[in-house]
Amino acid sequence: MSTHSMKKGMVGGGLLAAAAFGVAVAAPAAPEARFDAGVVSGLGARNIGSAAMSGRVSALAAVPGKDGKTTLFVGAASGGVWKSDDGGTTFKPVFDKQPVQSIGAIALDPSNPQNVWVGTGEPWTRNSVSIGNGIYKSGDGGETWSYLGLPESERVAKILIDPRDGNTVYACVPGKLWSDSAERGLYKTRDGGKSWNLVLKGKNLSTGCASIGFDPKNPDVLFAGLWDFRRKGWSFRSGGESPDAPSGSGLFRTADGGASWTEVTDAANKGFPSKPYGRIAVAVAPSDANVVYALVESTDSALYRSDDGGKTWDKRDKSQMMVWRPFYFANLIVDPKNPDRLFKPDLGLIQSLDGGKSFANVGGGTHGDHHDIWIDPTDTQHVISGDDGGLWQSFDGGNKWWKQNNLPISQFYHVSVDQADPFRVYGGLQDNSSWVGDSAYPGGVTNSRWENMYGGDGFWMFEDPADPAYLYAEYQGGSIARINRHTHEIRFVQPMAEYKEKLRWNWNTPIALSPNEKGAIYIGSQFLFRSNDHGQSWQRISPDLTTNDPQKQKQEESGGVTVDNSAAEMHTTIYSISESPKQAGLIWVGTDDGNVQLTRDGGKSWSNLTRNLKGVPEHSWVSWVQAGAFEPGTAFVAFDRHTFGDMAPYIYATRDYGQSWTALVGPKDAKGMRGYVHVIRQDPVKPDVLYAGTEFGLWISIDGGREWAQFKGGEMPAVAVRDLAFQNRDASLALATHGRGIWIVDDLTPLRALDAKALASEAAFLQAKPVQQRINAFGGWSEGDASFSGPNPPAGADIVYYQKSRHLFGKLKLEVLDSKGEVVDTIPASVRRGINRVNWSMRAKPPRVPPAAQVAFNSTQGPRVPPGTYTVRMTKGKDVYETKLDVGLDRRIAYGTADRQAQYDTALRVRDLFGRMSDLVHKINAVRAQADERAGKLGGNDALRKPLLALKDKVDTIRKKIVATKEGGAITGEERLREHMDTLYGAITIYEGKPTDYQLARVDTLQRELGDVEQEFAKFQSGDLAQANASLRAAKLEEIAVPAAAPEEASAARGGREEERRNPFERD
Amino acid sequence: MHIRWTAVGLLALLAGSASAATLDELVAKNLEARGGAAKLEAIKTLKTSGKLLIGDQFELGFAQYQKAPESIRAEASLQGLTSVQAWDGREGWQISPFQGRKDPEKMSADDVKSLADEAPIGGALFDWKARGSKLEYLGTEDVDGTEAHKLKVTLKNGDVEYVYLDPDHYLEIRIVAQHNVRGTQVVRVSDYGDYEQVAGVYFPFSIATESKGDGGKQQVTIEHAEANVPMEDALFAFPAPAATKGAAK
Repeated sequence: MSTHSMKKGMVGGGLLAAAAFGVAVAAPAAPEARFDAGVVSGLGARNIGSAAMSGRVSALAAVPGKDGKTTLFVGAASGGVWKSDDGGTTFKPVFDKQPVQSIGAIALDPSNPQNVWVGTGEPWTRNSVSIGNGIYKSGDGGETWSYLGLPESERVAKILIDPRDGNTVYACVPGKLWSDSAERGLYKTRDGGKSWNLVLKGKNLSTGCASIGFDPKNPDVLFAGLWDFRRKGWSFRSGGESPDAPSGSGLFRTADGGASWTEVTDAANKGFPSKPYGRIAVAVAPSDANVVYALVESTDSALYRSDDGGKTWDKRDKSQMMVWRPFYFANLIVDPKNPDRLFKPDLGLIQSLDGGKSFANVGGGTHGDHHDIWIDPTDTQHVISGDDGGLWQSFDGGNKWWKQNNLPISQFYHVSVDQADPFRVYGGLQDNSSWVGDSAYPGGVTNSRWENMYGGDGFWMFEDPADPAYLYAEYQGGSIARINRHTHEIRFVQPMAEYKEKLRWNWNTPIALSPNEKGAIYIGSQFLFRSNDHGQSWQRISPDLTTNDPQKQKQEESGGVTVDNSAAEMHTTIYSISESPKQAGLIWVGTDDGNVQLTRDGGKSWSNLTRNLKGVPEHSWVSWVQAGAFEPGTAFVAFDRHTFGDMAPYIYATRDYGQSWTALVGPKDAKGMRGYVHVIRQDPVKPDVLYAGTEFGLWISIDGGREWAQFKGGEMPAVAVRDLAFQNRDASLALATHGRGIWIVDDLTPLRALDAKALASEAAFLQAKPVQQRINAFGGWSEGDASFSGPNPPAGADIVYYQKSRHLFGKLKLEVLDSKGEVVDTIPASVRRGINRVNWSMRAKPPRVPPAAQVAFNSTQGPRVPPGTYTVRMTKGKDVYETKLDVGLDRRIAYGTADRQAQYDTALRVRDLFGRMSDLVHKINAVRAQADERAGKLGGNDALRKPLLALKDKVDTIRKKIVATKEGGAITGEERLREHMDTLYGAITIYEGKPTDYQLARVDTLQRELGDVEQEFAKFQSGDLAQANASLRAAKLEEIAVPAAAPEEASAARGGREEERRNPFERD
Repeated sequence: MHIRWTAVGLLALLAGSASAATLDELVAKNLEARGGAAKLEAIKTLKTSGKLLIGDQFELGFAQYQKAPESIRAEASLQGLTSVQAWDGREGWQISPFQGRKDPEKMSADDVKSLADEAPIGGALFDWKARGSKLEYLGTEDVDGTEAHKLKVTLKNGDVEYVYLDPDHYLEIRIVAQHNVRGTQVVRVSDYGDYEQVAGVYFPFSIATESKGDGGKQQVTIEHAEANVPMEDALFAFPAPAATKGAAK
């Protein structure tokens, strides 16, 4: 579209507007221009998944339906709640309008499963865990939700609902992971969540509730595991600071619904282990309340079983999978019918059939890292598990597993794009390796369009710009490899330590490409490394850029009771790297311990700019540094302080190489932004357009950061946006969400065109990217209903405009005009507030096709208009707006505009033949109808009657040469001129280059055959019909008239492909 | 391929409840905005016609006939063939001629629900009490940047419609309809715009509908509308044998 759209006042549409506003409906005062989610979200976004790798499931709840279909609720670690009412064949997200997406617990009211309770904030407290904000309840099976408070709970481990009274509910709240808080422990409500009482609290501000279990037959008897835990950027403890340090953890029992509690101890309860404890998981066997299981993390971690309701205990299994990483795996699920059968979700899923004496790994083909299990009470062989790779179902008691391929809850850390067309996206995910996927594909971006390229937890990933056959990917701790995209050959190229040196690599080690030298790549430990030979060699181009604080380097002691040193707590590391695209060798670096460093000479000298940043506490985690896209002295920095318990956004900008900084967003003035900031990017085309990804979504500014609006395009929920990648050729933006996969904004151009002037106008066209007539392509295949498929970009031309308010009264009309000023199409408009995108198919009118037994399917669509400049005219009330639309060819095609024109001209030739054919059939039908009508008026013995009926039959023989007439809906195989023409038309219009010689010859042939029947009719008209009319005249009856041409159809069909993935020529 | 519009009755809900007051107020404002009960009730038949665009690609001619109390017939035409779906208040039927069949066939009770629910000229809420529906006010919710009033209508057959009213004019801007079809929930989201008056009552002349799940999209653009056109009951009833002329023109 052209940059200038113009408004013509008082042209056209006046009557409509008068009709609309001339009545009693009181129009309010003109709204003020606002910049908010409603304005920007109309840009739209597509979620391309994937559900191939899916993502971590943290909670499950289900109920068998009376109709045999299980209703299933799946809580994603950071991707909301998904509901299936058909046992998992289809899922829909039901929590997307809520402000947080991390799910800790789901519970269904046993007395009415339409009552769904959700506790937000995951309890599996890995380093990358998100946060919640309390408890929600739905009374209608998840359609609508009420917020029930506990705003400072941050995470909820479990919710139990009293089977006798759905208003009596327990919420087990571990509480804040990163900071002290009194709002943790076991909460109880007796009024359906209106008010909550803390009925069991820990003895310090880091101890909350991590597990509860009750006897469903006597829910006043309840066990609760309290857990003392704390995570910092550089350490984690489950229990005390060391295996034998004091800990607030303990197991408690109440017999009066929480009014009074007794602690289960080794002294009072024979067989129970000695303190101190870490995390405890407890479960009461639903079928026998005397049987209680407890996994107790201690210096001798093991499973314990009581057969007397918790009085005495017996030590059971302590295999590796029972005690592995208790902070991440502390859940016990007992068979609802068999007290001796239980599952322990862990790295592997283990199951015991002998009351916990022995366990076997039954995870089979699942991903691993299980967190929750549901056992169908009506068929205990039916087991559902959620793990780090999504959701799995077993129908053989938990041995063999089906994967759910329909949960796009993938947790990307980063995303990059390439120059393929359509471009591909690259990125790594939590425990799900590093993948490459298509941003578009004929038939849709299905799971099969994604390919795994590496292993471990994935983070940064790029195509090697110097050799696109290779990719860079990494797993945790900077384990970078160069991978052959075709053979999947892996070469480890990580820089290694020097003599008696330890390199400190972050869990999410930054890798960056140089924007100035193709193939040059950076990676950071505490030092910055640079390679320009694909990792064969690295130059160490910095000293230690961190604080090198030894107090934050004690990861070997991390874990609390159970040591846990997975690289997740590695600290005092480089976390973000950005080289200026305006000046080679000017590199910004941010560290996880608060340093912002700059070199302007390729690493020879470095300046620590940290002191110049006012208002952000020392040692705050620098989550992102971004070199300005336009000036070398400009940069943007984001701080993420959630590891200190501070969830506020911090974004700074400098224009003087970091000597002074402006806070664009901060805790004192968050400007509507919610959540800690992962990424800040400047638009590569318009300097004032900024994008910030936070834990709760994407925010956009069009004025350099003064105002921000949350982007909710494509119904994107408040999911963490951890990285952004621009595809500059396509003006597209790829979003890496941590919980809902990759999203694509197909065109940023309208956003770049949106300024104060446009915002203040009632309506204005916004420039969109140049239109290509993309190839008609077919691909993919039916994968059933239980498989995710991401949508493609719209196939036609985007027409984009802004409206200050939603259009309600009178026509909002969009017309497209060709260079001669003739209207080629009228398109229904979109009426929303803010940015509107309307898709124009770019098709000319379809042929006029004579009626026959069936629709001529190819001819339901017009040929695509030739490339060129078109005018779009919008009529809104009394105002008319115009803009130009430049339509070009797909950049991938091999033919040129001359061939394209030849194709269009040929299609129009066939369209004209169809028109002639329609006129002819119309004439024939007119004669048939009139002959019939005249004959009908005559008496049965009238001499004229028989010849008239014969005349009708005769003309019908001509019709039957033109159109197929066998009705009934079978595959008649009847092909006449019309059907042949339709086949030819389809062949010519599907491919937009030059038609084949045979196709061109066939046009001539069919034209000749049409000419034959036209002649035949002309002969009939001058012969039989003239004779009949003479007889009619003689009998003083009205002659049979032959109309000149068929009228235009009231509404001619304009069509397209019904099913993109199907071959259009195969209709059986 | 049928369209839907909604008016709201004036009848009060549960007296004394805070949300009932809001609901009554909204219902009254909506009715007033549409043109008032008298004008709405005076419309006994309504014929609309225009275009039906399917998936931004296929364009068909569109016509719809409605007759009080609850008969409806929707037609879509292509290449001289006309598909029909109709409901006469008791049963639904259709003609699907595009692949050669022109005889009418009965529709299952579940499949005809979405059509039948749209039959009343006044919309799903008009006379809601008599029709056995329930109404509930759910506060406001964002509809593409407009903070709209959200009403929940539970129909007698158990299906649910969420109706969103524009906060300034109280006209329907979106309806999310959930139909239970053979035990499966089918969700359709319809956006309304281009309101124009017919016999003194505002009707939306632009209806964009998306089917959730399969992503199917269609858009009805009304070009002509006329109230109180004479309509025979036979237009809506299952055609007697040999009376199937509606299919082919």
